[in-house]
Amino acid sequence: MQASAALPARSAAQRLRTTTTLGLILGAIAVSAWQTEFSLASLVLGTVDFVEFFAKLVPDWSYLPEIWGPLLETVQIAYLGTLFGALLAYPLLFLASINTAPNRVVLMVTRSLLTVLRSIPDLLFAALLAPVLSIGPLPGVVALTLFTIAVLTKLGSESVEAVDPGPLEALRAAGATRNQTIQFAVLPQVGATLTSFLLYAFEINVRASVVLGLVGAGGIGQDLLGRLNFFAYGDVSLIVLATFALVLAIDGASIWLRARLI
Amino acid sequence: MATPTVPPQPAPQRRNARLRLAAAVGVAVLAVVTLATLDLPSVERVATGITSNVPPILRGLVTPEWSLLPRAIAVMFETLFMAILGTIVGGLFAFPISFLASGNLMPSAVLAYPGKVLLVAVRTFPEILLAIIFVAATGPGPTAGIMAMGIHSIGFLGKIFGDVVEGIDPGPNEAIRAVGGNGLHVFLWSVTPQVLPEFASNLLFRFEINLRAATVLGLVGAGGIGLILQQRLQFRLWGEVTVILLVIIVFVIVVDALSARLRRALA
Repeated sequence: MQASAALPARSAAQRLRTTTTLGLILGAIAVSAWQTEFSLASLVLGTVDFVEFFAKLVPDWSYLPEIWGPLLETVQIAYLGTLFGALLAYPLLFLASINTAPNRVVLMVTRSLLTVLRSIPDLLFAALLAPVLSIGPLPGVVALTLFTIAVLTKLGSESVEAVDPGPLEALRAAGATRNQTIQFAVLPQVGATLTSFLLYAFEINVRASVVLGLVGAGGIGQDLLGRLNFFAYGDVSLIVLATFALVLAIDGASIWLRARLI
Repeated sequence: MATPTVPPQPAPQRRNARLRLAAAVGVAVLAVVTLATLDLPSVERVATGITSNVPPILRGLVTPEWSLLPRAIAVMFETLFMAILGTIVGGLFAFPISFLASGNLMPSAVLAYPGKVLLVAVRTFPEILLAIIFVAATGPGPTAGIMAMGIHSIGFLGKIFGDVVEGIDPGPNEAIRAVGGNGLHVFLWSVTPQVLPEFASNLLFRFEINLRAATVLGLVGAGGIGLILQQRLQFRLWGEVTVILLVIIVFVIVVDALSARLRRALA
């Protein structure tokens, strides 16, 4: 048979839905581009400028000895932020999960607080805390602690709510307390997943702590901003390269560990 | 009635418990060492910081400077538009790259590796770092922020899009080939319809992340509400900071809720 087969025609309702969706998306793009003065030309020019600028970034290796300290501080901030965040998040996430919360009031209050916490980006926390807790790694640790709570409670309560309810009912029927139910019915089911989330949070926190210094919250970001203000692009590109290597190394180690956990 | 006791654990579990204990001790020791070596301010300094800053902050919290509200909302809309465009730019580039990074669509799975490596490399740079470089390269303003978010989103979306493409049902592909369709037909009538809903859902998810990111890009001069926040923070105008924070929180929560509802409709 040679004639090409025709596809069945789409119904009018289907066509209307597609057209409206496309129209809405294109409208949103048009309004956004108009309001932010963004255009295809600026997209192309921006890319060209970026590539040209990037080509100028030749790392200045003599600066290397000076960045080990700030790099270490970056990892330290991420480590403490993840640890303290996790210590606070684990009790909270059982209060924010429908199947382990003691009652509805606690559930709703905890969830609302966590929703507000989640709506604030980590860097904003750092910017707010730096004037109060003095410039340095301390506001960074506190900001990442808050951010870790937001991340872990969200991911954690989703998996706690998805556990098999059978063991919970069995323990409750046998007269177990809330804590015993969590310990013997929920934790064995989600323990590995929660640990894996912890490592994932650490990965995110390392990335976040690289830039905390931009608002005075410690780590290598402070040096980055300083070198940039002096137009020392050789140092800047070395810092960028070093953070790139650091993030890749931490990600690799964490992915390896996570694969062994589950 | 005696309270029921839990029977002792079998040997392999006890070994696991010992391993966990060792890990916990290791983590705690490392934490103590880290705390001891980190350059932390003295307790007195933190105490002075808190006593001199917290009262004015609390005053600002209870007496927000409402006159800033119209300005804050207008700038927050600009932030929202930046997030929309950043997501679109990311999606536009991630779409073709994800196909090049999918083992099942490339002639050989090995050919998908360059695409995968490119996506990992892009993903590693935080958007704020990209924003700094863009501000240095193209000057301050929303364009720098949009480009930074766009590039970072390519890494994230390309990875997820690639996973979606690798997970599609090969049946329709084979059916189209069996009736004489070529690669383009397979792409248009089998791959695209299968991946489009998931692509759209992940695009929305990325948009939620980008909206949060866009609120802080202004801290480095890349447009959006972060800039006016930065200025108010420098001059410690806590009443105005409160208004800006409220606008950010309300916007993010409302947009999140709308976007989550849309995503559920897509699933």
